[in-house]
Amino acid sequence: MNNTRNYLCLILIWSLAPIFWQAYTSFCTPEALIYPLKNISNRWTLENYTLLLSSNPSFLRYLLNSTIVGISTTFLTLLLAIPAAYSISKIKPIIAGWVRLFLLSAALFPYVLLFLSLLEIARALNIGNNLFALSIPYSALNMPLALLLLSSSFKDLPIDLEEAARLEGLNLWQRLRWILIPLIAPATASTSILIFIFSWNEYPIALTWISKTELLTLPVAISRIAGSSVYSVPYGAYAAATVLGSIPLLLIVIIFQKQIVSGLTKGAVKG
Amino acid sequence: MIYILSFPAAFLLVIVFLLPLFRYSWLSIHASSVITGLEVIPNNGANWFRLFNDERFWTDYMQTLRFAVSSVSVELILAILIALLLNHRVRSKDLVRALTLLPWALPTTVMALGWRWIFNTPYGPIEQIFKFLKLEPINILSDPNLAWISTVIGDVWKTTPFIALIILAGLQTIPDDLYEAFRLEGGKPKQAFFRITLPLLKPYITIAVLFRLAQAFGVFDLIQVMTGGGPAGSTESVALYSYLNAMRYLDFGYSSTIMIASFILLMFACVVCWFIIYNSKRLFQKSKL
Repeated sequence: MNNTRNYLCLILIWSLAPIFWQAYTSFCTPEALIYPLKNISNRWTLENYTLLLSSNPSFLRYLLNSTIVGISTTFLTLLLAIPAAYSISKIKPIIAGWVRLFLLSAALFPYVLLFLSLLEIARALNIGNNLFALSIPYSALNMPLALLLLSSSFKDLPIDLEEAARLEGLNLWQRLRWILIPLIAPATASTSILIFIFSWNEYPIALTWISKTELLTLPVAISRIAGSSVYSVPYGAYAAATVLGSIPLLLIVIIFQKQIVSGLTKGAVKG
Repeated sequence: MIYILSFPAAFLLVIVFLLPLFRYSWLSIHASSVITGLEVIPNNGANWFRLFNDERFWTDYMQTLRFAVSSVSVELILAILIALLLNHRVRSKDLVRALTLLPWALPTTVMALGWRWIFNTPYGPIEQIFKFLKLEPINILSDPNLAWISTVIGDVWKTTPFIALIILAGLQTIPDDLYEAFRLEGGKPKQAFFRITLPLLKPYITIAVLFRLAQAFGVFDLIQVMTGGGPAGSTESVALYSYLNAMRYLDFGYSSTIMIASFILLMFACVVCWFIIYNSKRLFQKSKL
């Protein structure tokens, strides 16, 4: 038992040490970073943070952009996925197998390979540099997982329930609105969290669709701070950006970990 | 007809997943680059001939495969160990699980830069530890033979929690009675792992490995931010190569060819992998009780 605890500590150190190092770096002056072991008087500073927040546009703008994309994607995906998942849960088993295979292979697909075509679409429709438009490809990329999770939880509901509601004279919309959708709320919650995290973190499509500085999402903005040269990365400012960008996710993981865990495992198991 | 309800979602899926594949197939037999003034002109499969003779593409393919296979196998082994640990009755298990999940939830670009700073010479912490231990410091990020290992470390750090979670879900479906019965029959704990745990985990392992293999094969963020494909192209992945072709060399025809080719090669790799797991009888032998 004691051994188990030691190993767990080891795992925690491995998972958290790089994050702590970022946090430590973000409070250091450049001199302190160059001489990490020497005893310097001006080791600690908040300058990295003030620099980030006072830059133009302020770093908070990127946090806001990512939040906008995350929320609009979650909303759009659920709007399309819930009715679709309901109808998938009603298909005959033979066809349902093929649908699931298609959804699963779409979920496995390394979507990076799609960026060029998506960029062409964005240019043709003139929807680049628009945060809300970004949620269209994002919600498509999240659709397979959302459909798998939601349709399997629709299927888990007892058939008699819907039958009874139908006999009571409720039409399809009323049955969905008042009976079925409230009952799959747990699955909807975990799907939403996973969609939000994906959209918050997505990089290649945001990188190619958004070019205006004030519209960048957080991951792209952070990679821009770093610039392109290995030697010129302003690590202090960058680490501060990491910390600010990680706090929302830290909160999400701690608050919603049950939903995340059930979403990820059900997504894998049902598929 | 309730199937109408699924049309909007299906339409979106077709636009985002199928349309690009057709578009790439079509572009891959056309020239469309700065030279043609971005006009799309048929070029009799010249892109494909170029691809077969393109040493850089095949090097990148092997590097991508090396990255994917080594990171997924390390992740799988670590994940099984972590899942076995978390499957014990542990105090504050939820907190531990949440904290181990954190690397998975953070944006890849963010921690790719974090790792770049950690491996930085001469100021990064790894270098400091080496100095402290009076060891010869190695400059892992600028050594063409070693740089790929640093990308594997970054990937293992980030995605092991994901696999561990799936394996843990699998472990929790195995009833304790099975182990009890095995023990009463005189089986040793170590044998129980190979004869009960692994065979019953097989579906979970399969799905986790296939999923991770496909994702690792399309690795882009991590490498673009952490090494930029360098040093000397030694960490460049096929996704990065096709990105460079499209966005830097503005050769859309050839970029599409690379994407289609990588897609075909990936499917091939997945089928091989699935075949290996499904035929590994020795490893997954069901125990006869």
